[in-house]
Amino acid sequence: MVPIFDRRSSPALIDLIQRLIQSVFTAWAAVSFTFFALRVSAGDPAAVLLSRGLARPEDIAILRAELGFDQPLLHQYLAFLQDLLRGDLGQSLYTRQPVLDIILEQLPHTLTLAALALLFTLLLSAVLGLGSALWKGKPAAALLSSLTGAAIALPVIFVGTLMLWVFRAGTISGFLPQKQWVMQLLLPALVLGFSTSGGIAWILQTGILENMRAPFYLAAKARGVRPGFPLLWHALKPALPPAVSLFALEASFLFTGTVVTETIFARPGLGRLLVQSILEGDFPIAQGLVVLAALVYTFSLAAGDALAYVLDPRLRSDT
Amino acid sequence: MRRVLALAWLLLMLAAVLAAPLLTDQDPLQPTAPALAAAGSGHPLGADHLGRDLLSRLLYGGRTSLLMAAIAGAIAVAGGSFLGAWAAVAPRTMDSVLIWAGNVLLSIPGLLLAMLLVASFGTSRWTVILAAGISAIPNTMRVARTLLKQTAQEEYVQAARAIGATRLRIARRHILPNARPRLLVLAITQLAWSFVNTTTLSFLGFAGDPSLPEWGGMLNSGRGYLLEAPQLALLPGLAISFTILALHHLGSTPVHAQKI
Repeated sequence: MVPIFDRRSSPALIDLIQRLIQSVFTAWAAVSFTFFALRVSAGDPAAVLLSRGLARPEDIAILRAELGFDQPLLHQYLAFLQDLLRGDLGQSLYTRQPVLDIILEQLPHTLTLAALALLFTLLLSAVLGLGSALWKGKPAAALLSSLTGAAIALPVIFVGTLMLWVFRAGTISGFLPQKQWVMQLLLPALVLGFSTSGGIAWILQTGILENMRAPFYLAAKARGVRPGFPLLWHALKPALPPAVSLFALEASFLFTGTVVTETIFARPGLGRLLVQSILEGDFPIAQGLVVLAALVYTFSLAAGDALAYVLDPRLRSDT
Repeated sequence: MRRVLALAWLLLMLAAVLAAPLLTDQDPLQPTAPALAAAGSGHPLGADHLGRDLLSRLLYGGRTSLLMAAIAGAIAVAGGSFLGAWAAVAPRTMDSVLIWAGNVLLSIPGLLLAMLLVASFGTSRWTVILAAGISAIPNTMRVARTLLKQTAQEEYVQAARAIGATRLRIARRHILPNARPRLLVLAITQLAWSFVNTTTLSFLGFAGDPSLPEWGGMLNSGRGYLLEAPQLALLPGLAISFTILALHHLGSTPVHAQKI
């Protein structure tokens, strides 16, 4: 490993540190944007409760004072930031349960789904990306290539519904075993992993094919590196860093992917919580979830940058 | 060959959707058959769970879906290329401010940004259109800025600058006309993403009244009858997928999927 700070620190390292600092600011700006977007345009949540007949007119003043909506906007904003730093995301309008508790309750469902989906993403993008490069010119490669295209383009709502249909029809006719965990976990994770792997596989594919035309690949071939995987590795290694960056990016987008898959497969989790809270007008929950997603997204991007820095020696050199 | 197929599908679908009254005389909103009726006389594709004719719902729903995606795509491309052009020709400080603002918005995933807007304005088709359009602006801005900057480095632009042309004139007379083909590719690709995003948001129930036909909403309501009548969900799903694939083949292969 390179020492973090020395006089010969490369420009890329300084760049990386700058980006990490910037991501803190970006996260702050995203959080503030969320707060103002919801507060300014959605107006007064107390009025929403009133319009839905969930509160009596005479309770509104008390409710507003309780929620802090009678304060000036700037005051509310500062209080929101202060609470956020203490890990307090407010409470649900309807159940009065703390938002953090509600989120933590649903978090394990989404984490399990996302973790398994990431595993599928890794597997599928390796198979799709490497396979089509390894069997270049054969029918198998063409098949894998078009699968990659399908993974990129086909919307999750259709792939998910299709899988659901195939599986339901399969279990009814007895071809497939009827298992709760298959329907509730394996299928949604597979759908999510498939649709996330498309972009990564595509980057791997084009990177490897490009490297195969590079002089160092020809040199490795001339040196007598065994064909098959050892030779492929020479073309694969330089193609990895951009794929890793994209993997980090896609990983941070997984949360939004779970919104759709959780809905299709009727699975509990943060995504469903978000859709429900928005349809029901429970703003504190929606706000908490968006804030959480923005934080996760910003920092996993930064982590991806750091990982690319470790993986790619070119970023570490002085030139 | 692929492009010909893609264009053929798009034109055929557009024609079918526009000629809907000629192809079917069924009302897409009123029940005219028993619930989940199988394909038969008068109902070439059968009826949905409320007994409404599936073919006419597909055709009239296609109008809505395509129109929603087109407006959302237009918002994204117009807003994005305006801001991108501004960033490309503006002084350095303004450029960095715009880029940073774009990065902040990109750090809220598109679907969440869209859902924020839905939470603010309530569920309706216009909210879905606005949400899909606005949430795509940061990305189109970034792409447009990059390709306009590339154009701005061409020699004829430098020549124009050297003879003292104003920034506005350079942007309007030199950069935009020459970047137009590449902006068109951006627009087609963006249309594909807008289509994914508007149908997904409708699928999630953000487009308001589910009785008005629209492909995303139809896919969602058909999902409950997958075993009894799979065509209710699969046909709108296939229509959505074919359209997106066709648009992708006409545009360019995207590297990072912005789908939600």
